[in-house]
Amino acid sequence: MPLDEDKYPAETGRRRFVKGVVGSAALASVGTGGAAAVNTTTSQSGGGGGPTQYVAIENTAGPAPRGMPIVPVEVTSDGEIRGVFPEAETEEVGGVERVVAETDMGGITYSSQWFQYCGIEQYEGAQPEADADNLLRAASGENYAWQEDLEAGEPLTVDMFEDYESWGNGIGKGGLGKPAAARWRSETEGAKTIPVQVLRTPELPKMINGEQGFRDYSTIPQNIRSFLGAATEENFMAWLNKCTHFCCVPGYKKLEGSADFGGENGVYCQCHQSVYDPFSPTRVQFIARPRPTE
Amino acid sequence: MSDTDTTTNADGAEVRTDGTGIVPPDDETPTWSERKARSQGLARLTYEYFERSRREDQDLRQQSSYVERDVLAFPTWPHEMIRNLALVSFFVGMIVFLSAALPPHIGPPADSSSTPAVILPDWYLYWSFGLLKLGPLNPDISLLGGQKLMADRTYGVLANVVIVGFVAIVPFLNKGAARRPVEQPFWAAVGMSGVVFAFTIAVLSVKNLVPMDSHVIFDLTFFLPLVAAFVTYAVLRSMREGYMFNLNRRYYRLRPPK
Repeated sequence: MPLDEDKYPAETGRRRFVKGVVGSAALASVGTGGAAAVNTTTSQSGGGGGPTQYVAIENTAGPAPRGMPIVPVEVTSDGEIRGVFPEAETEEVGGVERVVAETDMGGITYSSQWFQYCGIEQYEGAQPEADADNLLRAASGENYAWQEDLEAGEPLTVDMFEDYESWGNGIGKGGLGKPAAARWRSETEGAKTIPVQVLRTPELPKMINGEQGFRDYSTIPQNIRSFLGAATEENFMAWLNKCTHFCCVPGYKKLEGSADFGGENGVYCQCHQSVYDPFSPTRVQFIARPRPTE
Repeated sequence: MSDTDTTTNADGAEVRTDGTGIVPPDDETPTWSERKARSQGLARLTYEYFERSRREDQDLRQQSSYVERDVLAFPTWPHEMIRNLALVSFFVGMIVFLSAALPPHIGPPADSSSTPAVILPDWYLYWSFGLLKLGPLNPDISLLGGQKLMADRTYGVLANVVIVGFVAIVPFLNKGAARRPVEQPFWAAVGMSGVVFAFTIAVLSVKNLVPMDSHVIFDLTFFLPLVAAFVTYAVLRSMREGYMFNLNRRYYRLRPPK
């Protein structure tokens, strides 16, 4: 006696046919759907991005994976401080036109991809073609005491930093430079704010020349020193103020508590106690996120 | 009337003792004193007795017009529905009342370009937030040239898996048969260290706000649970010794040793 003799409904030719049709249709739809899902998740979703080398202020403590990228600065003839952003060019790679913004900065390729992390790649200001004057403007909100009489959005000028060689706010060692919280390429209507930290420091010439200063700068490699020479002006340096860990906005000598975590002379992130050292520029690599494409 | 196991009716037919032929008591039925005088056959007697009562019960049921049902619960309608309606309207009313009386505070949208000086998750998530700060425990693998096998943040997330996994495993290790901690001092100590660890890891998560050296906090995070475990174990063991002492004292008071 076959095992399925009393099976209901009985196996018939018609039934087997229907089962085959339904089963193959289900299999085919699963296969197609899976292929489509794999395709959407693995295809490149935007322009730019990928492995990128950049010069960072070093991450010395805490859970952050790498340092924050340095923003090259220059001083205009009016004494305003401007963050350099590479010119956008359209180049053809493998038959596909793409916009790249990169330039040579003291022997190191400075690219707009340096800033493509933490969602900044979606900000208007991070797009190479964005219409912006690149001036570093005073950030709004709670910042340094000396910045309180500044209007938010007012361009930072050199004369605001006259006292940079003696400035101190009781956190850490005084005389290491005068910081300012700034925003950059964010003046378009509805654009999201790119936070940048500006620091005018008397340590910069020593860093560029590899001398002994607040730290021993002779350990900084030559190519980074020449990058610093090209990326700074009148002792101004700047970096993108976005913690690479979870995208908080830390601050240089901003919080009293930074001393407990060795961050009193550096940049301290209050979220997870990451510490960055602006006096230790390093070259690091990360995977830049792609910009959205229309 | 004989003392043998088989009994006979007045008309001489043998009585079946399988329950089918049970008859009401008559003159043939042994009296209680007769039964008491028997020295054997008690098992059969008991069997007959119960079989007869079962039969009487069955007859009564069959004569009755009552339809017997098993009652497992009250009917859904109306009993359960009316009760549930009352409960539901009470809680919906409470929600409406509270939302009307306490309108929510809706803050401004999050500003990604500035971070407040104190930034923390809700207090009941501090323990998990603290687990994210276990970076110093993440080992440097010398084979990888001092590199870490995984990033500190991956390590912190895996720590959550370990802790939640341990909490999930404990009920399988100990079913909690003990009614009071003295019965199982070891497991009570494990539980106390867990409670203390939940507190210390929460403190670790706000280490930047605690006026203490952060390295000391980190060490205390793991040391205090151990201390709590040892103290709990010691206290419970000595309490148990105390109980045993009292028991022994009473015992020996009753029967003084020779």
